[in-house]
Formats: sequence, structure tokens, C-alpha cells
Amino acid sequence: MRRSAQLNTQYQARYTLWGLAALGVLILLIFPLLFRQQPYWLYIASQALFYAILASSWALLAGYNGQFSFAHMAFMGLATYASGILGRETGFLAFDLSPWVSIPLGVLFTGFVGLVIGYLCLRLRKTYLALFTIAFAEITRLVIKAEVKFTGGPNGLPLKPLLESTSYVPVYYLMVALFLGTLLAMYVLVRSRYGLYFQAVREDEDAAAALGVNVVNTRILAFVVSSMIAGLAGAVFHHFPTVGLVVPDEMIIGRMSLVLAMAIIGGSNSLIAAALGAIFIHFSLEWLQEIPLPAAILRTLEAHRATLESLGFGLGENGLKTNAWRMVGFGMLLMVTLRFRQNGLIAPLLERLSRRHVIQEIAARRRAREEEEIEVSDEPNEQVGGAS
Amino acid sequence: MKLEVKRIVKNFGGLQALKGVSFTIDSPQLVGLIGPNGAGKTTLTNIITGMLAPTSGEIWLNGERIDGMRPYAIARRGLGRTFQVTRAFRRLTVMENMLVPALARNPRADRHAMEQKAREILAFLTLDHLTNEYARSLSGGQQKLLELGRLLMLDPQIIILDEPFAGVHPRLQRTIYDYIRRVREAGKAIILISHDMESIFTLSERLMVLNFGELIADGPPDEVRRMPEVIDAYLGRDEEEETEHA
Amino acid sequence: MLTPTVWDASLFHASPQLAVSGEFVLRLIIDGLMIGIIYALMAIGLTLIFSVLNIVSFAHGEFYMLGGYIVYFFLQTFEALPPLLSIVAAAIVTFAVGFLFERIFLQPMARGEVERPNEYAILVTFGLAFFLQFLMLGLVGPFPKKAHRLFDLPQIEGTFFRTTKATLFLGDITISAGRLFAALIALLALAGLLWFMYRTWTGRALQAVSQDRNAAAVVGINPLNMNTLAFSMGAMLAGLAGAVLVTVYSWVPWVGVPASSKSFVIIVLGGMGSIPGSLLGGLIIGVVESLGTGLFPDPARAQAYRDVFGLVIFALVLLLRPTGLFGRKL
Ligand SMILES: Nc1ncnc2c1ncn2[C@@H]1O[C@H](COP(=O)(O)OP(=O)(O)OP(=O)(O)O)[C@@H](O)[C@H]1O
Ligand SMILES: [Mg+2]
Repeated sequence: MRRSAQLNTQYQARYTLWGLAALGVLILLIFPLLFRQQPYWLYIASQALFYAILASSWALLAGYNGQFSFAHMAFMGLATYASGILGRETGFLAFDLSPWVSIPLGVLFTGFVGLVIGYLCLRLRKTYLALFTIAFAEITRLVIKAEVKFTGGPNGLPLKPLLESTSYVPVYYLMVALFLGTLLAMYVLVRSRYGLYFQAVREDEDAAAALGVNVVNTRILAFVVSSMIAGLAGAVFHHFPTVGLVVPDEMIIGRMSLVLAMAIIGGSNSLIAAALGAIFIHFSLEWLQEIPLPAAILRTLEAHRATLESLGFGLGENGLKTNAWRMVGFGMLLMVTLRFRQNGLIAPLLERLSRRHVIQEIAARRRAREEEEIEVSDEPNEQVGGAS
Repeated sequence: MKLEVKRIVKNFGGLQALKGVSFTIDSPQLVGLIGPNGAGKTTLTNIITGMLAPTSGEIWLNGERIDGMRPYAIARRGLGRTFQVTRAFRRLTVMENMLVPALARNPRADRHAMEQKAREILAFLTLDHLTNEYARSLSGGQQKLLELGRLLMLDPQIIILDEPFAGVHPRLQRTIYDYIRRVREAGKAIILISHDMESIFTLSERLMVLNFGELIADGPPDEVRRMPEVIDAYLGRDEEEETEHA
Repeated sequence: MLTPTVWDASLFHASPQLAVSGEFVLRLIIDGLMIGIIYALMAIGLTLIFSVLNIVSFAHGEFYMLGGYIVYFFLQTFEALPPLLSIVAAAIVTFAVGFLFERIFLQPMARGEVERPNEYAILVTFGLAFFLQFLMLGLVGPFPKKAHRLFDLPQIEGTFFRTTKATLFLGDITISAGRLFAALIALLALAGLLWFMYRTWTGRALQAVSQDRNAAAVVGINPLNMNTLAFSMGAMLAGLAGAVLVTVYSWVPWVGVPASSKSFVIIVLGGMGSIPGSLLGGLIIGVVESLGTGLFPDPARAQAYRDVFGLVIFALVLLLRPTGLFGRKL
């Protein structure tokens, strides 16, 4: 009786999860139909997926492997710049390559840089690793910004379009494919033995090494894979005809903190939670850009336009513009999440869903064992070792 | 199986923690390693398992020189250890903890077979009801048991147990005691570091005494316990030790 | 493919207009020394936080930024009040913000209520940096602000030594009044700090906690209060540095980012966190930066590379002494 009930909940949990995943994919696929009239939201959605890839690949490195790198956006930018430079018609290292060739090369280059940086980070622990990767990210950004002749400097580097059509729809679907593809690849990786090594190394390097885990390879692997995925996302996204330009300030630490906030608020020890966090935050930020308000309220606000503007808000056609204040809110949310929900807001929910049967099973076994122990409590201690 | 430790010296700045320690283990046996606090027992363990580099000296395992190798490589050659302070992978489940060494030692191992083996070991250690719990929700003693179980999944020939009894509930101590006997009967060599004289003298077939970085005795337990320098250095202060560890 | 159009010679040769005279170099050095004192002040704040709380504050640069803005707004709003009060206001506000943050977010960590404290400390201070940057962006917008110098120099006419309102002349060497006052105020603050650390009970208690928390607790010092004090004071020192530099540099919400990495470099250079060491490190960085910027052949890139040099030194030191930045493991 008890056993079959247990199995039931186990299958229920599994079906719920797969059901949710299927629902998610379905929403991604039909999203363009829902927003046919507002292609702008399609663009926002592809941007959200771009951030989702960045956040989940950062979660792979930080959440699974415990390397809190701040260089993720720098890797994103490196691949993009490398691809852009290789695709140029004239100038240093210009080979006039098609994006379909230059992007993989850019990603490979980033993987190589990731290898070097991952290697250099090996001896660094948490805080020092954070400091070192910040330094690396800033050096990369400043050099790219300063070397105008190579990179276009602060005005950015134009990139060839990856697709002919300038419609938002194909761009969106390409981004969906990239998102699902990278997420699946990372999921397979963390479910494999490497996922176990990643986490074992995160928990305790020495203990992992004493059990035969090659800590060096594990850490470098995490670094290389996560920076290559960030690079891939960056290069593909910026090669879209709707984007077509990369500027060094996309690699600024502030942008890095946004990705970090997305992953942390979602939950950095889960790839999917980090991705969902990114999607959720990106959409909220977009929505908060101009909070839609009824005309009546807007007219009232109009009287206070000057005050609002002096406070950094603004009035748009349809609503209240929050400008930097939405980011202030997210900064606060990040700190509060860290303080009170260290594992993020979404990850614990997923965890509850996927481990519901486990939790019940544990409770049931606990109960069984306690009953057993009461029965045998006055026998000699032979019982303890004799369980085999 | 053959572990040869040759003239190991370790300096920490001005402090000489090991002053030329040598011994050989060439058959399945249970070797007790005792010595006062700060004698260098943990340091010696760290050096044998590659976590620390010796200042001088050599270590050979089955005809291969292993000092200078990285710890994971030494572990994969069949030399396992536990730590004096518990180091379970807290955010992995008990089963995942068990699988890490199994897959690290043999990546092509059949995961199902490994899980089966893990279940048997967990059952022996009375942890089977916790298989899917996160290690961090286990008690300190249970985490210690988990570490011991995990070590077997590495399938080592020689294991070094650094203070397995310290800070463990008496009932679980009993389990650890049985574990050590079983592992020994399975034909493995064990170096047991402990301050618990009772278990050392009942379990050991050979006893080594380390004092201020020097191996002052190495032989059958009954002979060693009568050696005056051992009594001076260590056993004479038995009571003091006992109260300290109570 | 190396195309000559890119590797043209101007990358490697000083532009001919730039005449490097001895006076010019001397002026750069003096400028650098004056700024260096201020950097040192900030770095000492970071050291104080580290040595007592055992964490690195990633929001240190943002307190510097905050201090600067407070002076700017104070001067704008209260024109009638003595300008020196603006510095006091910056100190008070940054101290208060540091105090609140420590109490709300760091204290639970010290009490052991937070899992994975290492990770938490990095992320939560980073979160504060993020928050403060955008808070100021919301309040003041992205456009650079610059405060006027706090005072005018008295008019002195001499042959060797003379002044105008804004400049001091020593022979052929010119010193800007803004920098001079900034450096003097920083020196004053430094003196106050030294007095506090070595001559008061609380200062000694702070030092005691930084050396041995448990022993300090035994003699009746409450380490939790010392944490709060150290963090608030560290934040205040960064705030003071910003408060005096806002009259020298123009200010944007992310001005703290390079400033905080300078603090890290200084700590690295200067004897791992001792106060004299930080002072020396600050002076070195100030001078190197000033000379580097002034003498770099391509002025357009000089500004950018000024920050790159410091970061490269910093990254190298991290790699060569991975546990030695503060002489402790983190
Ligand atoms: N990393 C280190 N740096 C400096 N000295 C060290 C280091 N590790 C150990 N020591 C010193 O080496 C000596 C031996 O220490 P070790 O931990 O090996 O002793 P032990 O025999 O394991 O003691 P215990 O019974 O307390 O576990 C001690 O004096 C200790 O202080
Ligand atoms: Mg020891």
C-alpha cells in the first residue's frame, strides 16, 4: 500500500516537472503569435533569452562549481568582438568572414581565453577570484575601449547581419533554439559525472581530490564551458540584424551585476531557475521602463512633471518612466534575496517540486526506522553493526 | 600492495614537524598510529596523500614514486584517507556523495551497479534511510560515517583514517569500530590514527608512535606499550589525554 | 594579417607637440603626491574593514562616490554655510549608510546565521554597490558633476612664491588650489584617524579585535559592535576621500569602480594593510598614475590606460601572492 502511494507521488512529481517544461517550451514557441501586433516585445523576448543564457551559464560556473567569476560579460564581449573583427572587410585581422564562420571562431577564441583565465584562477579562492576576474574584465573592457583602431573604441564595432530578414520573428526563433540548445547541453553536463565533480569541488576541493577527482581539470572545464556559452550567446545576439553593433560598455561591471542579480534572484544553484530569473527580471525591467497608467492619473502626474523629472522619473505617452529607479529596486531585491532567501526565489520552488517524492520517502523511512528502533532498543548493541 | 615512506622531513618555516619518518606497509594489516597532539600525524597523512609536499624524502606506492603527484592521482592509485574534521559534500545527497569517488576512480563504471554497491555500504553504516537526504542535514557522527562509506567507494587498497572516533556518539563509534574490522577482513591495509587507546590496542596488529615528528616506536602493540620512551612520551599521560577527549 | 594601416607609427611615438620639461614632470609628481594621500585614506578604510570583519567590501568605491556627491549637493544647496561643513556632512552620511548596512546585512553573518558566508559577503557587498550606483544615477543622472574648490587662496605677491585665487606658484611650478586643499583635508583626516586608532580606548579595541577576536571578547570588547564600527569607519574614510576629490575630478555614479580597484592595488603595494604602508602605497600610485597619464604618448588613450596599469599590477599581485593580498586566507 505505502509503496504504491510512494511511487505515485514520484511519478506525479516527474510528470509535473516534465509538464511544466513542456509548457515552457510551448510558450516560447507560440510567443510570436501572442505578440503579433507588438514586435517590440519579440525583440525584448530575444534579449531576455540572451540574458537567460548568460545567467544560466554563470550559474554553471558559480552555482555548480563555486567559482564566483565577474568576467562573464567580458567573455561574452570577447567572443563578439573576435567574431566582429574576423568578419570585417578591412583592418587588423579582417578576413571578411561570414558570421556563420566568424562566430564559431570567436567562441573558440573565447574558450581559449577562458582556459587561460580558468588556469590562472586555480590558486585563487572565493574573494580573490572575484577580485581577479573583476580586474580581468575591466582590463579587457578598457583596452577594447581605448584601442579605437582595432575595435571601434567607445562607439562600438558594427557586426554583419547573421540573417537576411530584419523581421523580429526569425531572430526570436533562432534565440529560442540557442537558449534551449545551450540549456539542454548544460543540463546534460550537470547530470553527468562532471556535474557531480563540479559540485564536489565546490563543496570541498581537498576532499574531492582525496577521492580521486581531478580538481584542476574540473575547475578549468567549468570555466571554459561557461565562458564559451556566454561567448556564443553574445556573438549570436549581436550579429542579429536588429542589433548589429557591440559597444565596450556592455562589458561594464554594472552589466555584469545585472546578470549576477538575475541568476541569484532566480537561484544560482539551478540552471533553469537562473534562466527563469533572467527572463522574469528582464521583462519586469522592460515593463517598469514605462509603467502603463490610466490617462486620468497621467494627467494628474503631468502637473508634477518637473518634480518627477528632478527625482529621476519621467512621463511618457502611456505611463510613468522609472529610468534608473527600477534598477535601484532590483539592487534592493538582490540584497534582500541574499539575506533571506540565499538559494534564490525560484530554485527552492523547483527543488520542492522535483524532490517532493524524496522528501515523503525520507519521512516514511524515518518513521519506519524509529518504530524499529523502539522495538529493538533493549537488545544488545549487536543490532547496530549487524544490519548487513 | 606496498607503501614505502622514506625519510620524510617536513619543515613549516622554523618548525620541523616531521624529522625523517620511514616505514613500510607491504601486506594487509591494521597499523595504529599514535602520538601526542602536534606530533605530526595529520601532517604525515597529508604528505602521504599528496596534499602537502615533503621538504625531503620519498614515498613509493607499489613500486611507483608518488610524492610530487597530485592528490587525485594518488587516490586513483588506491590510497584513500579521511580527514580529522568531517568533510562531507554538504550540498550533495548522501548517494551523490557516494558516487563521486566511484565515478572518479572509474568513469566507465556502471552507475546502477555503483548505486547498488553504495546502498549496501550505507546499509552497513546504518545510513540507508538517509540515502536521498542532503549531507548537510546529517548529524556530525552520521557525516563521519558517510565519509567512511564514501572512502570505500574509491575502492582503495590502503586507507588512512585520521581520528575516526573523535566527537562521535558512542553508538556510532561502535559502527565505526565494526567498519574498521570489516575493511581489514576484506584484505585492505589501514593506518588508524586515534587518541582512543582502547580501540587502538584492540584493533591494531602493529603500532607506530610518533613524537615531535619522530617515529619513536614501530612494532607489535604489546611490545610498543612497554617501551619506556613510549610511556614517557605518550602513554604516561594517558589520563590527561582521556580527560581532554572526553 | 598585420596591416600597416593599423600599426602605424603614431602608436609608438610621442606626438611632437608634447614638450616634456622638468617643471612639467615636477608638477605631475606633486599632483600625484597630493592625490596619493587621498587614495591612501580610502585604502586604509578598506584595510580597516578587512582586518576587523575579515571580508573585502566590494562597495568601497561606492562610498567614495557617495561622499563626493554629498559634498557636491551640500555646496549647491547651502551656499551660505561654511564649505568645510560639506565634508563633515559627507563623513556623517557615509558613516550612517555603512552603519545601517553592516547592522542589517553583515551582522547576521558575524552571528553565524548565514550559510556560505564567504560567498555571501562578496555578493551582498556587491549588491550594495549595484544599489548605490543606481540610486545615485536615479538621483543625479548620468552627467558628470564637479564641485568648485572649497576655498580661494589668499592673494600673495612674491617673486618666487605667489598665488592667485586658484593657483599657487612656486617659481615655475604651479599647484592647483583644489588639489592642495583636498590633500590638506585628507592629511587632517589621516591625523585624526591615527589619533583615534592609537590614543583612544575604542581605537585600541578595534586593533585588538583585528588581531584576535576571541581574546578581545574575553577582555570585554563586544566584537559585533567593533564590526559595525569598523565597517562604518571604513565607509566613512572612503566617503572622505570622495568628498575631497569631487572638487578635483568630475563625478559620475560609477566613479567608484576604478577608485576601489586603486585601493586594492595600494594595499598590495603598501605592506599588506599597515597604515604607513598604505600611505606609501597611495603616494606611489598617485605619482605613477599622474606621470603615466601626463607622459603617455597618446593623450586620447592615456586616460584609459591610467586605470589599466593599476589593474594589471593588481591582477599580477593576486596571481603571485594568492593569499597575500591582506596576508590572510579568504
Ligand atoms: N600548515 C601548517 N603551517 C604551520 N605549521 C603547521 C601546519 N600544519 C601543522 N603545523 C604544525 O605541525 C605540527 C604537527 O601538526 P599535526 O596537525 O600534524 O599534528 P597531529 O599529530 O595531527 O596533532 P593532533 O593530535 O592534534 O591532530 C604542529 O606543531 C602544528 O602546529
Ligand atoms: Mg591531527
